[in-house]
Amino acid sequence: MTKNVHVKIDEMKTNVGLIKNLELSIGKVVNDNYTEPMGPTPMPSVTALRDWDMKLLTKYKAFYMPDCDSCCLCTFGKCDLTAGKRGACGLTIAAQSARIVMIACAIGAACHSAHSRHLVHHLIEKYGRRFPLDIGGLNIKVEAPITRLVTGIKPETLGDLDEVLGYVEEQITQVLAVGHTGQEACDMDFDSKAFHVGMCDHVGMEVGDIAQISALGYPKADPEAPLVKLGIGSVEREKPVIMCIGHNVVPSVGIIDYAKETKVDDKIEVVGLCCTSHDMTRYYNRARIVGPISWELRFIRAGLADVVVLDEQCIRTDVAEEAAKVNAPVIAASEKNCVGFKNRTNDDTDAIVADLVSGKVQGVLILDPEKVGEVAVRVVQKVAPVRKHKNVLPTPEELVAIAKTCTQCKLCQRNCPQDYAVPPALKAAAAGDISLLTDLYEVCMGCGKCESACPQKIKIHTLIVKAGEKAMYAENNLCRVGRGAIQDTEIRNVGSPIVLGEIPGIVALVGCSNYPKGGKDVYDIAREFALRRYIVVLSGCSAMSAGSYRNEEGKTIWEEFPGGFEAGGVCNVGSCVANSHIAGAAIKVANIFAKRSLRGNYEEIADYIHNRLGAVGLAWGAYSQKAAAIAAGFWRLGVPVVVGPHGSKYRRVLLGRKEDPSNWEVLDARTGDTVNVGPTPEHLFNITETKEECIVEIAKLCMRPNDTWKGRSIKLSHYVDLSKRYLGVMPDDLHLFVRTMADVPSTLKDEFTKILAEKNWKENIIPDPTMLPRMVRKMKE
Amino acid sequence: MSMFKDIPVEVGVIYEGERIRRNDMQVELGGPTVKQKFELAKVKPLDQIEDGKVVIIGSDLKDLPEGGAYPFGILIEAAGEKLDAGLEGVLERRIHGYLNYIEGFMHLNQRYDIWIRIGKKSFQKGLTSFEAIGKVLYKLFKSELPIIEKLQITFITDAAKLEQMTPAAIQDYEARDSKARGLKDAEVDTFYGCALCQSFAPSHVCVITPQRYSNCGAISWFDGKASASIDPKGPVFAIPRGEIINEEKGEFSGINEAAKKRSMGEVNKVWLYTAFDYPHTSCGCFEAVTFYIPEVDGMGVVHRSFKGATVNGLPFSTLADSTAGGRQIDGFHGMSIEYMRSTKFFAADGGWNRIVWVPKEVKEKVKEFIPKDIVDKIATEDDAKSVDELKAFLTAKQHPIVARWSAEEAPTAEAEAITINEDVAGTMMPVATAGSLPFMAGGFKIILKDAKIYANRVIIQTVKDKDKR
Repeated sequence: MTKNVHVKIDEMKTNVGLIKNLELSIGKVVNDNYTEPMGPTPMPSVTALRDWDMKLLTKYKAFYMPDCDSCCLCTFGKCDLTAGKRGACGLTIAAQSARIVMIACAIGAACHSAHSRHLVHHLIEKYGRRFPLDIGGLNIKVEAPITRLVTGIKPETLGDLDEVLGYVEEQITQVLAVGHTGQEACDMDFDSKAFHVGMCDHVGMEVGDIAQISALGYPKADPEAPLVKLGIGSVEREKPVIMCIGHNVVPSVGIIDYAKETKVDDKIEVVGLCCTSHDMTRYYNRARIVGPISWELRFIRAGLADVVVLDEQCIRTDVAEEAAKVNAPVIAASEKNCVGFKNRTNDDTDAIVADLVSGKVQGVLILDPEKVGEVAVRVVQKVAPVRKHKNVLPTPEELVAIAKTCTQCKLCQRNCPQDYAVPPALKAAAAGDISLLTDLYEVCMGCGKCESACPQKIKIHTLIVKAGEKAMYAENNLCRVGRGAIQDTEIRNVGSPIVLGEIPGIVALVGCSNYPKGGKDVYDIAREFALRRYIVVLSGCSAMSAGSYRNEEGKTIWEEFPGGFEAGGVCNVGSCVANSHIAGAAIKVANIFAKRSLRGNYEEIADYIHNRLGAVGLAWGAYSQKAAAIAAGFWRLGVPVVVGPHGSKYRRVLLGRKEDPSNWEVLDARTGDTVNVGPTPEHLFNITETKEECIVEIAKLCMRPNDTWKGRSIKLSHYVDLSKRYLGVMPDDLHLFVRTMADVPSTLKDEFTKILAEKNWKENIIPDPTMLPRMVRKMKE
Repeated sequence: MSMFKDIPVEVGVIYEGERIRRNDMQVELGGPTVKQKFELAKVKPLDQIEDGKVVIIGSDLKDLPEGGAYPFGILIEAAGEKLDAGLEGVLERRIHGYLNYIEGFMHLNQRYDIWIRIGKKSFQKGLTSFEAIGKVLYKLFKSELPIIEKLQITFITDAAKLEQMTPAAIQDYEARDSKARGLKDAEVDTFYGCALCQSFAPSHVCVITPQRYSNCGAISWFDGKASASIDPKGPVFAIPRGEIINEEKGEFSGINEAAKKRSMGEVNKVWLYTAFDYPHTSCGCFEAVTFYIPEVDGMGVVHRSFKGATVNGLPFSTLADSTAGGRQIDGFHGMSIEYMRSTKFFAADGGWNRIVWVPKEVKEKVKEFIPKDIVDKIATEDDAKSVDELKAFLTAKQHPIVARWSAEEAPTAEAEAITINEDVAGTMMPVATAGSLPFMAGGFKIILKDAKIYANRVIIQTVKDKDKR
């Protein structure tokens, strides 16, 4: 694609004609091999899809749980919004809650998009605008489903991604503007804008991931992407260790490239935390994934990192101080995270290395990824031999002595987001029994709030790490390298089993690790559904947590199940930005099976996905604004999202009211009749408090109005079985999900017949469901 | 679970995917180490069946020593007013699904190839007799298939008995297969339609005839017959065949009417035995695509799991995309592998004589159904990776298609042309439109003086002259 072409010809003689003073000015030249017709909403403005949002928000009404009941964003305030009081600007608490959700989603979207913008700039600089995009070779025809759907652009080169990001950036600005005092009055409008920016977030993520897959040679939609080592115990600790934290792989690539060039790649360890580590392993098979975001303090306090490299997002802001305590130099490598260090980008490399090695400076800011690579690799080789002799964790005796200083004031427990019983663990430790502290190691998410609260200044987290040292070094597991997109052919393969009910649903476990009881829940949930032959998709920290446990045969989830998008498959799409491939797969279903046009055709595709595709997202440990944005993108597509208990702090859920029949009416596209399809899916965004509740909720949310009777009967079988198994009860709403007797699972016919009779159930039809009147088909003559 | 309260283990679809490893198994029945094994369903007259009876010939489960593998047979005998022998295959395949519902019971394969494992845990829970397994089968068959009025089940572990029954069962399968394959579309008065795929591809309707399987390869005419008679309101429905409008192309008035009704008038005419003009629509989950190759005037086939590009340079994903979504696309056809075994396989287009390229894996699968004189003349990916190579191969092998070339010169001129479309909004002056472009051949001269041409956006499209047959 070319922009702004000007041609001026004073005089040209050709054998067909004469041209004098011709001026040709073209805004944009598009090489249009994209033959799909343009849909109604290419590059939608903030209100272009508002009607669709209102449909969803009416069906799934917002239920607010203000985590904070005042507003302090302007100087009229702070305003107390409780008990129906309005703020100085007139805002209600519902609208304020929705406004904060919208702002959080905008921050999240900005984060992914800025990350993608950096990637695209960097990769264009390195590989050129015309570098072709290739994310799956011949197995992928729809290379950027979200981008096509939202913007109407079919990107073919790195340069094409420029314009796509331009759209996203403008929308984020528009939405963020709405956050200003005195804009928007209605909570539903704020929510609609949250949806909008969530949709844009998915575009931004897709751009970033397809750019890096294409240019950095990641696995291309490969179900058999290799397995890599995962866990602190997998790190060869005798070697110099560079630890990279964050989400943007560019500096890590600099490190890996320099290590390879100088032939020290097998002499040093390059390990990563959080999504950067996923992308490092997609680039380099010797990289190690240490673990989710929450392992930062653990790893640094244990003294394992010889050099710490920071890029962007979800990095503890006290990393530099923590690293200083264990004498590990820090390199900040992102414009978005300068950590107060002096910018040494243009300084002589030898000088920077000397300063870091001598300890003259504790950290530096370097904004050139290649220079980061050289500095990190050279520094780590010099500082490691010195650092390795130092034992930074307390001895067992010291641990007891420190624990004895505890006064049992219980402030630690009160400050613990999980309300873990820290005081009894310290008490036992003071008496020489560290078993309770060791138990805490298993479930602790490593926020360190207990320490901040401790009046005795006890390094509680350090004690927990010490008590869990043995377990920590035994963490030697596997993760499948992020495969990237789902192949078109894989989607075609699952068409028949989904229609015939052999695959009951698609469960995507995504997002961060703010788990209520440790990562094992994620493993258990993923495994439960994989064993039941659902399609299980993971990404980010959830993919790491799922890989951190083993079955009775000693196999990790990545060895136990195939990596394809198939019944009983467990896929790792990759890092945060790779979450776009999950939405992308859902979008491709509409394109592949129904041949629905994607180009600028958002509403129709969302309507298709919402009413047909039994997919559910679970962010069991979601904590970030990015997670909020990802969820919002799924909401607008009509895909239900479930979060764990901490998700209540996102301030609002979107709940269907199953007792209200008018809530569940759709149009039958064949006849135009209104048909009640029951609560399928029941909610768009819901919180579950326990693993057990969550599993049952997911099974229920996989039902859709278009389910064939075979599909519905198998979905009901799982719903009933999981409810009995995990909650010990027969669900009380089964009658709402039976349309005809053929929906009833054959092995449960007696129970269902009884329930249906009691509930005065009536037979209904299975429609060709849609919420859009224009989709009702007319008989052609 | 009240329906199975007298069964010592649980029964439910959730056990379907259960695998039992060697270490966890009580016994193995059938399987790779055992010769004599089968499962068979027979339809019998009503007076020859004792409803609910379970017979065990040989040792019962509890008497089989732990850890061993044993010869095994299952015989299902059913009777009912509306049942006929044509449904035996359908009943038989249900055995697999139903047995797998039993907790700690793994059933693989079918017919003379069955492989069963019973888990230790379930054995310890009390699943120690075939009697219980028979009861589960009985209840599921009767509740799922109300057309069965009487059902009797026999389990055989006696080696001598199996030696005599297994070959008889194999004869039964063969007779059934040859009868099924011999059944002609023109000989039946009812076809079946399947609207299951409409849940994802709303305008697609699959027509299933004796000589044409469903596109997904999962539903035969017999399956269709069974489903439609069991659940007349269900997604599989009878289509009265109606008049034969065109025997060669496979056009039937009943199919046209059903297609029109179900597709809301999108599709009014269907020719079953051709990929051209009015081919059967393609859903999304067909097993393979047939695609026209204009350069050789022949057709290629590619199946879903084929990796890489086909002979015309396009992979399955692109070819599938050209035809999917419930549309009739001239020259493209989504279909089942089983259809390749039919004598009506693109019969109107020349059948196998028109097929020029098939992946090795598919060719191997259907080899015995390809006419002997042509089987070696059809190229695979080993023989031809491009159209030029394909031409050379076909010429060298004297594929019957070559004879067509001389009759009608195979033409493929690809012309690249540039059109400039206007896409101008508001007050800007339009770009010169294609018709008024100056650079056209001809005997006149166009002079542009002081011309200014503005465009917000100029779209340059690659245009290919399409050539059909």
